[in-house]
Amino acid sequence: MQTVEPQLTKRFGLKDSYTLKVFLATGGYSSLKNLFAKKPAEVIEEVKASGLKGRGGAGFPCGMKWSFVPQNTGKPIYLAVNADEGEPGTFTDNYMMMNDPHLLLEGIICACYAINSHMAYIYVRGEFYAQIQRLNGAIDEARKAGYLGKNIQGSGFDLEVYVHRGAGAYICGEETGLLESLEGKPGKPRIKPPFPAVVGLFGCPTIINNVKTLSSVPWIIANGAAAYAAIGTKESTGTHVFGLSGHVNQTGYWEMPFGLPMMEFINHYGKGVKGGALKAVIPGGSSCPILTAKECEDLTLTYESMRDHKTMFGTGCAIVMNEHVDMVKVLKNLTHFYSHESCGQCTPCREGTAWEDRLMKKLLDGEATTQELSMMLEIADNMEGKTICVLSAALAMPVRSFIQKFRADFEKYCKPSISAVPAEIS
Amino acid sequence: MEVPDGTNVLEAALSNDVPLEHFCYHRYLPVAGNCRTCMVEIEGPKGAMLTIGCNTKVAEGMVIHTDTPKAKAAQKNALEMLLLDHPLDCPICDKAGECKLQNQYMEYGLYDFRRGVPRYFKGGKDEDIGEHVILDQERCVLCTRCIRFVDELPKTSELGIVNRGHESKITIFPGARLDNAYSGNVTDICPVGALTLKEFRFKQRVWFLKKTESVCPGCARGCNITVEHNRGRVYRFMPRESAELNKTWICDEGRFSFNYYQENRVEEVRVGSSPKTLKEGMEQLAGILSGLDKEEVAAIASPWASLEDNFILKKLFEKKFNVKNLVAPLWAKKGDTDHLLKLAEKYPNEQGLNLLGIPTDSKDFWDKMEKGAFKAVIVMSQNPFGQDEGRARKTYGKVKTLVVLSAHKTKTVEQASLVFPARPFTEKSGTFVNATSRLQRFRQAIEPENPDIVESSLGLCRLAKVLMVEGFEFEDTPSIFNAMAKEVEVLKGLTFHSIPPTGKVLDLNPIAPEPFQGVKAQPNVLGKAKA
Repeated sequence: MQTVEPQLTKRFGLKDSYTLKVFLATGGYSSLKNLFAKKPAEVIEEVKASGLKGRGGAGFPCGMKWSFVPQNTGKPIYLAVNADEGEPGTFTDNYMMMNDPHLLLEGIICACYAINSHMAYIYVRGEFYAQIQRLNGAIDEARKAGYLGKNIQGSGFDLEVYVHRGAGAYICGEETGLLESLEGKPGKPRIKPPFPAVVGLFGCPTIINNVKTLSSVPWIIANGAAAYAAIGTKESTGTHVFGLSGHVNQTGYWEMPFGLPMMEFINHYGKGVKGGALKAVIPGGSSCPILTAKECEDLTLTYESMRDHKTMFGTGCAIVMNEHVDMVKVLKNLTHFYSHESCGQCTPCREGTAWEDRLMKKLLDGEATTQELSMMLEIADNMEGKTICVLSAALAMPVRSFIQKFRADFEKYCKPSISAVPAEIS
Repeated sequence: MEVPDGTNVLEAALSNDVPLEHFCYHRYLPVAGNCRTCMVEIEGPKGAMLTIGCNTKVAEGMVIHTDTPKAKAAQKNALEMLLLDHPLDCPICDKAGECKLQNQYMEYGLYDFRRGVPRYFKGGKDEDIGEHVILDQERCVLCTRCIRFVDELPKTSELGIVNRGHESKITIFPGARLDNAYSGNVTDICPVGALTLKEFRFKQRVWFLKKTESVCPGCARGCNITVEHNRGRVYRFMPRESAELNKTWICDEGRFSFNYYQENRVEEVRVGSSPKTLKEGMEQLAGILSGLDKEEVAAIASPWASLEDNFILKKLFEKKFNVKNLVAPLWAKKGDTDHLLKLAEKYPNEQGLNLLGIPTDSKDFWDKMEKGAFKAVIVMSQNPFGQDEGRARKTYGKVKTLVVLSAHKTKTVEQASLVFPARPFTEKSGTFVNATSRLQRFRQAIEPENPDIVESSLGLCRLAKVLMVEGFEFEDTPSIFNAMAKEVEVLKGLTFHSIPPTGKVLDLNPIAPEPFQGVKAQPNVLGKAKA
């Protein structure tokens, strides 16, 4: 395990870490000199070479995304920062904005310069009231000090940043749902193509990046892509703020390079499982397929290891469950959440999420048979990959993995099915 | 298959008779892609990919499968979800028989019902949301066609979705009513029975309706419609697709005019106050006309009458009387107009008069009439003084024999000495030329019970026969059109049956702008394959 200097959380312990004064004293905005010395295309190449992946959940290569922006449309280009952090089990972005808002702004400047955007919106989850205050304070400070506004630090580059408060919907964390919400409409994901990089906010080319993705960029610009790519593993470069919640003795978040084994994360950082043996881990937010204790044994905190275990890295915030957890109740919680948060556009999601939830209620009431379990698995198949956005897949994956991996838990609730009656009686 | 550039996969399939399930897609509305039923497999570098057909543009060399097991399963499963909490009240639903859920279940579903949980009641039956439209929330499949329609065409945006997930509902905004001039269209495009018309609810099962290709005579636009009727009664007018003219839309004024054509009708031939048969009436009229000098006979043609009616009237005057005594006054008050279809001019066939060279300037005509120059005047499908009874009495008072051919009772009919019942457009065949010079054909939908009610053109032919004028030996309106096409330059080469269903633009100056001014270019390219 490498030990590297923290990039994202280095100011977290400092007094008044959110102020410009402390930020500048600890090397803040120092990447701008390097940034403005490069051409925008070179910045994109640098980020591409760093191997930085989107930290929002899908893990799409960041530099590649930036390169999709057409520069010849004659329309303004926008950057939208996804600070809606709504994935259950995920809680690190809000600390980033709380403790180091200027780092995010520095990342925004880098990204906007690269894609030639002069307007950025930070879409913050409405409940993050204190974070919004911090961000607005930081924007004011930065503007006064010439880090935002016209002609940033004499570079000739202009940039305005605005904070937009969301009104609390999980689906507004989906990038096109976020854009709709930002435009003042109900947050309903848009049909693709066209992709937002071409037709996005207000019909203009738009890049949507997560808070941690953007906060990682200044270090890459300051220290070079090669230095960044040297951290972590080949496919998962750099550092990440990993979160841990659930049945561990120490919950919290830690910045580390990619590559730490999951069990070490739980036992060393989480100080072990609380209240019993480990039963399961949801590795990166509630929509990732669940893993059994056995599967966690050779799992590392990397995109590729998660993929090999047929789950997803997601947001990098794991939920740990001990042996006393009733998986049926956990899944009921998830089906309720996803059916409540489905925007209701696409048929398979609108009807499927609610159908799963109603079947789960039936199961908890002791009214279901194993036939209902197979039906739930079938509905999950019918929901996944057939809708505009991935919300229905985000429920289909847990449903499938929960029932398949913890079938005994589910069968405990089942009453004998008709087909289970011995043949001579029927 | 070769289709125009920009055609989407679903359109390419539908316009070339490849069936594919769909709910939310409508050819003349923006793509929403939310019903997820038009699933197809498209071969790509990573193997066959499942995707929706409506939002995928056809590309060179694309291989599309609509009926692979995977695609079929996706279509079926989406349908199962759409039908999950559907009330299945088809026996009392007016959409039954033309419902996409019913039809597509038979085509793509045919699965055994399973839900496993009690039905979710969305509530909201029989919600009165507008002058003509009733909303049933439970039947709704949330395809948003109606929302897209009110947003894109009348741009009145009265409809929207409230709530999320499976609690989503389509409803009108607080304080709003669905009262725009095109509100009836939402019931046509509703693929299920969620939006129904007050004027049609519980009146007739759709499978009993016979459909006749026709043209709306409500204004000079001449929207293509279908007259739907059963046992001699018209139950509704439905828009008929015309890519060049009205797309699939008609205005409410036209749609709900169907009752007008079957009410307040002239029922029988009348001489003075006594009923007569058509034969007696014609003989009496011929007797009167033969005793007059040809300068003493005049006639009023009509922009509401078909080309054939006007042609025969004009021909009769050319051969027997003086054609200079023929005029077609344009007197109707202007109606509403808008950027979509409605035109202020209420004449379906004003251009037909121009085509036949019948003058519309009637000042000299009325002067002569008031001076008593005409002893007999034939008025065909006209009521030039509207409700102004004084003026009608004053002018018509100077005429000894006022002959009226009319389908409806009017002030002119009240003044007439001889009345012949005529047929409205639903009861005869014929042609109109609309304001944008499109020659359009309408066909007879119903046959009146009384055989004495004949088309004006054929009635005048009978009169000609009694008067022993040659050249009027016509059995039906198509043959009149065919004879007219030989005589009139711009109609040369046409026959009644060779007119395309959506009409033919004639070489004649248009008198109104094209429809849908300021509406964005229609988003979906029609994908008719090249032969």
